[in-house]
Amino acid sequence: MHLFLVGVSHRTAPVELREKLDFSSRDVGAAVEVLVTRSSAAESVVLSTCNRSEIYIASTDAEQARQEIVAFLSEYHQLPRDAFMPHLFAHRDMAAARHLFRVAAGLDSLVIGEPQILGQVKEAFQAAAERHCTGPLLTKTFQWAFGVGKRVRTETGLGEGAVSVSFAAVALARKIFGRLEGRRVLVVGAGEISALTAQHLRSQGVEEIVITSRTAAHADALAAQVSGRTVPWAQMRRAIAGADIVLTATGSQRPIITREDVQAVTGRRRTEPLFIIDVAVPRDVDPSVSEIEQVFLYNVDDLQGIVQENLERRGAEIAQAEAIVAEEVARFTVWQRSRRAIPTVVALRQRFDDIRRAELQRLEPRLSGLPADARARVEDVTRLIVEKLLLEPTEQLKALPDEETQAAYTEAVNRLFRLGDAESLEASAPEAEPTDRPREN
Amino acid sequence: MNLLPLVLYAAAGVAYAIHFARRSPQAGRVATTVLILAALVHTFVIGMQTMEVGHVPFANPSRAISTFVWLLTLSYLYLEITTDERAMGVFIIPVLIGLQTIPALSPGAEARDPILDSPWFWVHVSSLLFAYASLALAAVLGLTYIVQFKEIKKKHLGYFYTRLPSLQTLDFMNARAIAVGWLFLTIGLVSGAVWAAQARAVVPDDPNLQAMSSLVDPKILFAVFAWAVYSFAVLARRTMGWSGRRTARLSVFGFAIVLLNLVPISYFVTTSHTF
Repeated sequence: MHLFLVGVSHRTAPVELREKLDFSSRDVGAAVEVLVTRSSAAESVVLSTCNRSEIYIASTDAEQARQEIVAFLSEYHQLPRDAFMPHLFAHRDMAAARHLFRVAAGLDSLVIGEPQILGQVKEAFQAAAERHCTGPLLTKTFQWAFGVGKRVRTETGLGEGAVSVSFAAVALARKIFGRLEGRRVLVVGAGEISALTAQHLRSQGVEEIVITSRTAAHADALAAQVSGRTVPWAQMRRAIAGADIVLTATGSQRPIITREDVQAVTGRRRTEPLFIIDVAVPRDVDPSVSEIEQVFLYNVDDLQGIVQENLERRGAEIAQAEAIVAEEVARFTVWQRSRRAIPTVVALRQRFDDIRRAELQRLEPRLSGLPADARARVEDVTRLIVEKLLLEPTEQLKALPDEETQAAYTEAVNRLFRLGDAESLEASAPEAEPTDRPREN
Repeated sequence: MNLLPLVLYAAAGVAYAIHFARRSPQAGRVATTVLILAALVHTFVIGMQTMEVGHVPFANPSRAISTFVWLLTLSYLYLEITTDERAMGVFIIPVLIGLQTIPALSPGAEARDPILDSPWFWVHVSSLLFAYASLALAAVLGLTYIVQFKEIKKKHLGYFYTRLPSLQTLDFMNARAIAVGWLFLTIGLVSGAVWAAQARAVVPDDPNLQAMSSLVDPKILFAVFAWAVYSFAVLARRTMGWSGRRTARLSVFGFAIVLLNLVPISYFVTTSHTF
């Protein structure tokens, strides 16, 4: 059984094509089901996000599977093959597993280390599992990938630090105020960034969002969007007094909040911090406001500087994350190889057990006179002898260092014990798998 | 006997440093485990000394410091476990190591003066040691608050920014530590005064007690001064809304006085008030 992957991602295909090959808008589970029922694939998972559409399958014949996937893509999305063929990438076995591990780790994302992808990989697997379209190979591979994603997240800083201006502002607010529950926000000027930041703040549980804008209609629209309330523009300065976080984003050419404005209200605020986020260009808040002790003033350049630093810091973590992926791929390879030894091991066991049973059968006339417990003991002892004889060869077969050696050993074992050809045995391989890695999710 | 806890504190310190620098959760768990072990061993050491002299050992400066280190460890562990915040360990443990070196190097014999056999004396010393432990925590919290405040204010989000808890959390923990410390400081000073008055009634001619009778005793002078600083910190927070950097600074300043009182004055300056 081979692991096989065909897909497009932001690295290989423009957004127009990715949109056309998107599964997430339709039912991913249904797509997976179509794949498994109509092709030679035994197992299938479809991972579809705005940056990628990837089809993972387990199949005995990789080339046939590839053609079937291409046909499926063309048919399912009603696209001529030529439209997407040049943008497809394909991997098999370890390369496919490595790709999935990198995706789960966030290494293949547009924004390196972004946190959503691991959840999306889990959902993709879940959707396929619910339709009973996953089997031992994909289950193991995906669960391994979840483990890799988790390891990279906890052991490296790949996903750390905000990488957008609005998230950077929220992260700062959390560093100053801790939990944002009960905090009050004043939004001055209803632009796009202020809407985005206000939404992030709202999702962090701030108690109240007050919005004021020169154009009352803009304020009303934003208030509806983030369930805030509006105050008239004339009351803007007074509203600062009640706020813990002030967000300004007006189109004004001159500063609208001066040092005197803030000083007038900080007396009432005593020493509680006031966090002012000025995302307007030109700036809305007089820079000298930051000289007031309890005021933290950040403008859009400061925030962009943080974002840049965070991106650089993430970049520095890539090598470590790649090392973890490489390590896990190596471990996964060992597992895979041990798995490939299973048909031989099973056949060998079967052969030994057949001999045991035949011998017992032959002795039946003499054994029949024995009492029941003695017979049971004969059964046990013979079984134990077979098991002990096979213990070491089984371990050795599973732990062979590379594919070539494995092929040679399998061949030797097959000949020595007349086990027949391995291919026909693989089909009868049992579903039960050795688990050398605990499930992590 | 005080050497083993010192070694364990040092080991915990290394683990906390690794945890802080690499932000490794495993190192953090190891650090807490080693510190708990150190606290248990230290408890055993102090328990042995208690059995030996019949009361908790503190009537001798070096043993008092050992007891103080033990209390500080327990207070810190309480703070860590209740807030699930390990980042402060790297600042606290060096204090433990530094102070524990003194009893580890010079054990000192526990003086057994019948004058000291009074419940007032016991209350006096134990509440003061506990107050100092609390105030030490407050000072470390205050220091980290100041460092992080500066980083955010200067828009230089560096090493500490990514590792310390939020300003709000630090401020909250600092306020709690000061409040507890101030309470025990008050109890300690009052019970000390009561004990001194009683002792003087029993042994009126004791020169040591004479020296304690006034604010001439540097130990008392500094303790009262520290108490005044902390009283102001508590009061300013309640009535003037002082919080954040100002109380953080006060807590560092206050503890500098306490530390001065606990070590150099005990050893070199005072002639009577020997711990």
